[in-house]
Amino acid sequence: MSTNPAFDAYIMEVKTYSGGEVIIEEGSFGSWIYVILEGSVKVKKRTAKGMVTIDSLKEGEVFGEMVFLEGGTGARSASVIAAEGPVRVGLLDTEKLISDYEAVAPDLKTLIQSLMSKLRDTTSKVCSIVVAR
Amino acid sequence: MNQHRHKDRKTLQYLKGEQIIKQGDYGISIYKILSGKVQVFRKSEGVEVPLATFGAGGIIGEMAFLSKDAEVRSASAGALEDTELEVWHPRELAKKYEQTSPVLKTIIGQALDRLRRTNRFMDKLAVTSTNKPGKKPTQDYDAWKSKRKFYRKEVYVPCRYAPASRPKGFPFLKGHITDVSMSGMGLQVSVKNESVTSHEVGESLHIDSVLPNGKDLSLTAQIVSVKKSRAMIRLGMQFKELPDYQETKKALGFFLLPT
Repeated sequence: MSTNPAFDAYIMEVKTYSGGEVIIEEGSFGSWIYVILEGSVKVKKRTAKGMVTIDSLKEGEVFGEMVFLEGGTGARSASVIAAEGPVRVGLLDTEKLISDYEAVAPDLKTLIQSLMSKLRDTTSKVCSIVVAR
Repeated sequence: MNQHRHKDRKTLQYLKGEQIIKQGDYGISIYKILSGKVQVFRKSEGVEVPLATFGAGGIIGEMAFLSKDAEVRSASAGALEDTELEVWHPRELAKKYEQTSPVLKTIIGQALDRLRRTNRFMDKLAVTSTNKPGKKPTQDYDAWKSKRKFYRKEVYVPCRYAPASRPKGFPFLKGHITDVSMSGMGLQVSVKNESVTSHEVGESLHIDSVLPNGKDLSLTAQIVSVKKSRAMIRLGMQFKELPDYQETKKALGFFLLPT
C-alpha cells in the first residue's frame, strides 16, 4: 500500500531492494516512475569528488519523474539507491501516465517542463558548489 | 512580433535594473520572456543568491502557480537588460490544472517541493561561503529598482471605517478606497469626518469594504500619510492586520492581476 491512495491504481509491479542496492543508475536510460512503499532511498550524483548525496526520499515519495516529465528520452540525471533495506517500491504504469500527460494543455506542459529544467539546473549547481568546497 | 497572441496575455516592458517579482510577495501570474534577460535570485540572511538567468522563451513564476496552497514567491526576478515579458493570466490555467490527473499533480507537487528544498540548500551553501572573510555579496538586493507592475490598482469603492481602538458603539464613518496594493490602500474621506474622530499619522483604522471582484475586505490599517484639501482628506494606509492572512492576500493578489 502506498501512502497516497491516488497511486494504487497505477502500481504495475512491486519490487524489493536490500540496503545499498541501486534502483536507478545515473546515465542509464529508462522512464519508469517509482513510488516508495516502504523504507527510504538516497539520491546521489557522480562528481569529481565521488558520489554526492543530494536528497533522501521516504515512503509515499516518487522518484524517476524527471525523465518522464521532460519528454521521456533523456538519461537518468542521478542514481537512486536503497537506504537501509528492505525497500519496497512500486513501478507506475507508464502508459496510464502518458495518456494523463497527453491530456495536459500545452501551456501547462510548458510550465511543467520549466519546473523540471529548474530542478535539473539547481541540482547540478548544488552539486558543483559542494564539489568546489 | 507575436501574431497569435492570446487575448488574456498581456505584454510588459521592463527596463534594465527593474524588479519584476519580489520574493515573499503573493502573486500567481506567470511570465514568459519574449526578449531580454532576467536574473532570478533569492535573498537569504542578507545575502543575494543568484539562482539562474533566463533569456527569450524562459518561464518565471510557475512555482507559485503550481503550488497547492497560496505560496509566496520563492525568489525575486529582475531585468538584466531591457526585457519584454508576456504575462499569462493564471485563472484559466488554474482551471485546466484542476483537471489534470491527481497522480500527475502529486508527482508535480513533489518535484516542486524538491526544487524548493534544493533552493534552500543552495541558500545555505551560498551564505556560508559568502560569510567567509574577504568575500562580499556580489550585488545588493536593493539595487533593483522596484517597478513591479500591477501592484497598485486605482479604484473607487465605498467603504466604512472606524478607529481600531474605539469605544463600543462608536459609529462607522463613510469613505472611499481610491487605490489598493498588496501592502496598503488610499482612503478618501470628507473633512466633515474630522468632527467625529481625528485622522492623524500613526493612528489605526478598521476598514470594511467589498472589492469590485466581490471579495469582502475587512482589515486594520495604519495611517502613514495625510493630505488635506478643502473638502477631502486623502489618507495613505498601510495594512497592519489581515484576518485570514492567506485568504486576504490571495484575494488581493487576484484583484491586482492585470485585466
